Amino acid sequence: MPQLEQVEFFISQLFWLGVFFVILFTVLTYFTLPKIRAFLNKRDEFVQSHISKQDELIKKAEQLIQNYETKINEAKDQANKIINEAKESALVESEKLIKATEEKIQNEIKQTEEKVAQEKNQALSELNSQLKESATNFITKITNFDKDKIKI
Amino acid sequence: MAKGESPLKQFEVQPIVEINVFGLDLSFTNSALWMTITTVFIIAFFTIPFLKTKKTNSVEDLYPSRLQVASELGFNFISSLINDTVGKEGKKYFPLVFALFMFILFGNLFGMIPYSFTFTSHIIVTLALAMGVFIFVTVLGFVKHGVKFFGFFVIPGLPIYMLPLLIPIEVISYLSRPISLSVRLFANMLAGHTLLKVFAGFVSALGFFGILPLVFIIALTGLEILIAFLQAYVFAILTCLYINDALHLH
Repeated sequence: MPQLEQVEFFISQLFWLGVFFVILFTVLTYFTLPKIRAFLNKRDEFVQSHISKQDELIKKAEQLIQNYETKINEAKDQANKIINEAKESALVESEKLIKATEEKIQNEIKQTEEKVAQEKNQALSELNSQLKESATNFITKITNFDKDKIKI
Repeated sequence: MAKGESPLKQFEVQPIVEINVFGLDLSFTNSALWMTITTVFIIAFFTIPFLKTKKTNSVEDLYPSRLQVASELGFNFISSLINDTVGKEGKKYFPLVFALFMFILFGNLFGMIPYSFTFTSHIIVTLALAMGVFIFVTVLGFVKHGVKFFGFFVIPGLPIYMLPLLIPIEVISYLSRPISLSVRLFANMLAGHTLLKVFAGFVSALGFFGILPLVFIIALTGLEILIAFLQAYVFAILTCLYINDALHLH
């Protein structure tokens, strides 16, 4: 096995291993790894800052939604109020109108009734006088009494 | 593979540039070459996507490119691994675990390229890495807890007469950590690559029927890539657990 037979190269292998491992370790420690770490940190910071910004924006949006909802509710309340008021006033007005119309109708009915009664009375009295006359005429014709002397 | 060539030949270290310093053979070998490639690749892979110099501060700067997503994936993978095993205190040891994981992972993966060299299949390399972790963790334990670190070998809530039996077991298991850590990686790489080479030998030996081992090799290559990842992961997670032990004892 060359690994155990080539003893003459042990020192050389150890020497070069030492040289290259030390070079590798030194360059990585003082140059490469700090560079990588700095870059990763930079990116992490960027991402973190954007995440916190996003959180802020989300909070803002939630605030805006709340504002919007309260305003909408207020507007709805006001609208309901106005509608109710309008309904009430309309009701009152219509009742007034109905009452006034009813009164008018009652009045007209009363007047008409009075007129009818008057006309009826008149007609009756006229009929009465005519009856009287015709009765007088009838009696004068039968009895030949003076017309003016008859009293019914 | 030439006939009669050993399947272990792929593990041979060959010098590319011979260097001799004060009698020490520090030759730049194929092993060192693939360590170079691995190191350069890792640094490039994780650095280039983040080298954007424009500073417009716009959102577009923060969109990752495709390469960047890939390297972020590796970064986050190790980051969460440490977070899950060690916790917040583990952040300090992130570069170490990251370097270990990536070095072993890409060492393993580049070893899967034909004609390349897998330096993680060498016990001396894996042992060095494991000993490094072991020494680091032990020193860390002593720095954090001082002499109290020896309390690590005493399991709390155990009757006193059991201690003479269990303390040696705990000490041995602690000392065997670097061995198990290194041999696990080394043996997995060695076995996988040897198996692939042996079956590759069958392909050329069986002629037409060599298609059967060929199909097997294709499946096995997939498995080896999985193992390459898995062993790097195991090495990294065990390192994390050892760091956690050193920080919190029991």
